[in-house]
Amino acid sequence: MSLKLSREAFDDVLKDLGKEYKIYAPIRIKGEGRFSDTDVVRYGEVSGLDEIEIHEKAHFSPKEILFPITQTLFYFTEGEYQEPKYDEKKIIVFLRPCDINGVTRLDQVFLENGEDKDIYYERLREKVKFFMIECIEGFDNCFCVSMDANKTEKYAAAIRFGDDMLVEIKDEALINAFQEKGEFVNFEPTFIQENLVNVKLPDIEQITTETFEDDMWKEYAQRCIACGRCNFVCMTCSCWTMQDIAYDENNSSGERRRAWAGCHVDGFTDMAGGHGFRKNYGDRMRFKTMHKINDFKKRNGYHMCVGCGRCDDVCPEYISFSSCINKVTKLVGEERK
Amino acid sequence: MDINTKKIKKNAYRVTKVRGKTALRIRVPGGHLDVKYFDIIKEVAEKYGDGSVHMTIRQGFELPGIDFDKIPEINRMIAPIIQGLELDYGVSIDDIEGGYPAAGTRNVSACIGNNVCPFANYNTTDLAIKIEKAIFPNDRHVKIACTGCPNDCIKAHMQDFGIIGQVEPIYEASRCVGCEACVKNCKKRVTGALRMENYKVKREEDRCLGCGECILKCPTGAWRRNPEKYYRVVIMGRTGKKNPRLAETFLEWVDEETIIKIITNTYTFIEEYIDKEAPLGKEHIGYIVDRAGYHVFKEYALKDVVLGPKAQVANHIDFGGYKYERNIYFTK
Amino acid sequence: MKNPYLPNKYMILDVQHQTDIDYTFRVACDIAPKNGQFVELSIPKIGEAPISISDFGDGYIDMTIRRVGKVTDYLHNLRPGDHMYLRGPYGNGFPLDHYKGKRLVIAAGGTGLAPVKSIINYFHQHSQEIQGLDLFIGFKSPKDILFMDEIENWMKNERFNVVLTVDKGDECWTGNVGLITQYISQESIGKDENLEVIIVGPPMMMKFTALEFLKKEILENQIWVSFERKMSCGIGKCGHCKIDETYVCLEGPVFNYTKAKKLID
Repeated sequence: MSLKLSREAFDDVLKDLGKEYKIYAPIRIKGEGRFSDTDVVRYGEVSGLDEIEIHEKAHFSPKEILFPITQTLFYFTEGEYQEPKYDEKKIIVFLRPCDINGVTRLDQVFLENGEDKDIYYERLREKVKFFMIECIEGFDNCFCVSMDANKTEKYAAAIRFGDDMLVEIKDEALINAFQEKGEFVNFEPTFIQENLVNVKLPDIEQITTETFEDDMWKEYAQRCIACGRCNFVCMTCSCWTMQDIAYDENNSSGERRRAWAGCHVDGFTDMAGGHGFRKNYGDRMRFKTMHKINDFKKRNGYHMCVGCGRCDDVCPEYISFSSCINKVTKLVGEERK
Repeated sequence: MDINTKKIKKNAYRVTKVRGKTALRIRVPGGHLDVKYFDIIKEVAEKYGDGSVHMTIRQGFELPGIDFDKIPEINRMIAPIIQGLELDYGVSIDDIEGGYPAAGTRNVSACIGNNVCPFANYNTTDLAIKIEKAIFPNDRHVKIACTGCPNDCIKAHMQDFGIIGQVEPIYEASRCVGCEACVKNCKKRVTGALRMENYKVKREEDRCLGCGECILKCPTGAWRRNPEKYYRVVIMGRTGKKNPRLAETFLEWVDEETIIKIITNTYTFIEEYIDKEAPLGKEHIGYIVDRAGYHVFKEYALKDVVLGPKAQVANHIDFGGYKYERNIYFTK
Repeated sequence: MKNPYLPNKYMILDVQHQTDIDYTFRVACDIAPKNGQFVELSIPKIGEAPISISDFGDGYIDMTIRRVGKVTDYLHNLRPGDHMYLRGPYGNGFPLDHYKGKRLVIAAGGTGLAPVKSIINYFHQHSQEIQGLDLFIGFKSPKDILFMDEIENWMKNERFNVVLTVDKGDECWTGNVGLITQYISQESIGKDENLEVIIVGPPMMMKFTALEFLKKEILENQIWVSFERKMSCGIGKCGHCKIDETYVCLEGPVFNYTKAKKLID
């Protein structure tokens, strides 16, 4: 079912849905960006249409809604483990097709990898409905088309923002909220067909230990500063580390949390006792690259990277991940389709 | 040749070592100007000067080799510069074709600021222009500079008033993954105001300079900027032949309005306390404060100033530097 | 929904001090592991650590734990009757049945002896199930030697050939001195279809020991190694132990050399 709504009507629908759902969308936080007099655009809870920022790519991906940056796994009191209270409220997320495809990757890791499901992820995941922001033009550094992540069917509703709002509703649970608010139209979202940046993907059959040991990684040993920004803005980076804390001096209570971890950041591979496996920053670049465009596919049948380009947007050293993919492809040859 | 040197000095010309030749100083408030003014500077230098221009430490241009009698013509030629770089900024000058009406209060200089520099915590040029508007034209000898962060690239510590940008970092613990990038950097490059506790960062406010490095380094956006602009004011730094010294902190975490107010108040203080016998009626503000005492200066400077809740004022300043003449403050 | 991160509470039955910094904890528990598997040992408010199971039996498991970090520091203060939390077992373990009927060679360096100790003890008790066992055990110095009582017992087993060596001796040490690769090179081990080799120890030791066996014409698929990595979750979610498309916690920590040689961190 597709509808045309005025912006006011759409805003009313959001306010209405807000009673049942927490609604997350990219928002602009004025003046609180990294540099002075710059804004930060990232995910936050919204209560109305005008709060949603669609003109700029969110600097951080929506993964933090499903996989919080830090998340309490257990509370400890007198040595007993207690799970945190579960928030029943359902969730709506406004996000673009690349990010919806990114969720598929997160699902793969948290729900499909190994026998156990990650219960904390699963509980959030089950509550989420996707409101797809139609994305026709993309942004700088986007290469979703090359990654085959420009399209998706996995949305509850698709939205074209404009002076009037066009909405395709797939999820029947949402029909009530929308149907009286607009007029029926024919609308199906359009997906971006060409980005400003294109990558050629490597033939992963040809990736060998020689590829791992190639000189191309040495350049990154010099350039990368191991800040981890590329990991943290990435929609599909899913690594994390346990953190236990005691609240007070006498140690009677505390909690176990998990926090995002990044393979570029110091300490990622360090074991107790100090031995680490990737001290060299070039090795870290190689490790991340291979995960995104080689080994994840070997394991799961599709590439991890969705080409959102946030890593390129954020790198303070102007390391371009899309260029790196192209370098690997130049080395081993292009993927046979 | 009959030249009233007092008059031409006030007009931003000077007596040079070459008999009959003067040099003109063009002010560039905030150190930033549209390139169109280069055409005028070039024309003046070629037509009346020696075809060269000196870039001054205060971010002005000095045009040497000018004949004294060409001053009126040159003043008319530079009218568009005075229009664009003074009047348009809100500075009041009655006779736009008469050249600069004063030279005592020097050009307000600025580092490149947040138009370009990632470290800068504010638009230094904009603030310099606001200060220029508040204090120029004025004969009193006051030097002011604006710098974006405590790196102090403009050398605000060498001024009578140095304005250093500060930012209040806001910490969102739930976004912090405990990577320690900010803590390590603060320890290495700044004051070590940050430490880890239970995988989260604690900031010691008294140690924090408000430089904003933690915000720059944070990979997850756990540190954010308070969009409110804050400034540290360092005062009475100087070079010179008596007692060169770095400026010391007078105020911290104050707002723009406070800065303008304390600077304008300072002019009242100067009128009250300047050595009336001073040679050429000229005495640097720093020496006046030395004589009158910091507490008297402070009282004048803070008159009618409403400080914000975060503001801090130095109770006492122990100026350092060194004295060329040991008995400088004693009369034999 | 089952919470895979929730550990169970178990009581410590016994604590044996192997060296100043290596203690063996026997814990009463119902975990029935395979040889070479590991558990996530958990101390509330301190943290979790992946620990290999050094031995097990009816109603207990043993873990030999070196004091190297926060969790193990805390652990070393625990006494019999105290409790610790465990979840697991995790990982694949060694293919014990595959070794039966063959000549087995085990090279263990330092704490690497722990994950293979249960195999050695199994074949010590069931000597008839293998043709023989060549055991090369290396430690840094005499004071670092672990499981001395058991090593002495193994030395008495007539089907076992036990070579114990230290990198650097002391005034009391009269035994072998030198790296285990040096002793392996002297041993009459060669091309033999009926032979299996297990190597466990620090990364460098495993690398060079494997090369030593390859030199002796042992085939790659006859060599087995066990990896140690920083495993935060143990269940394939946290990403710390992933090497190429392999998760050490899921598909390892035991790998055949044909696979292990391709795993570049």
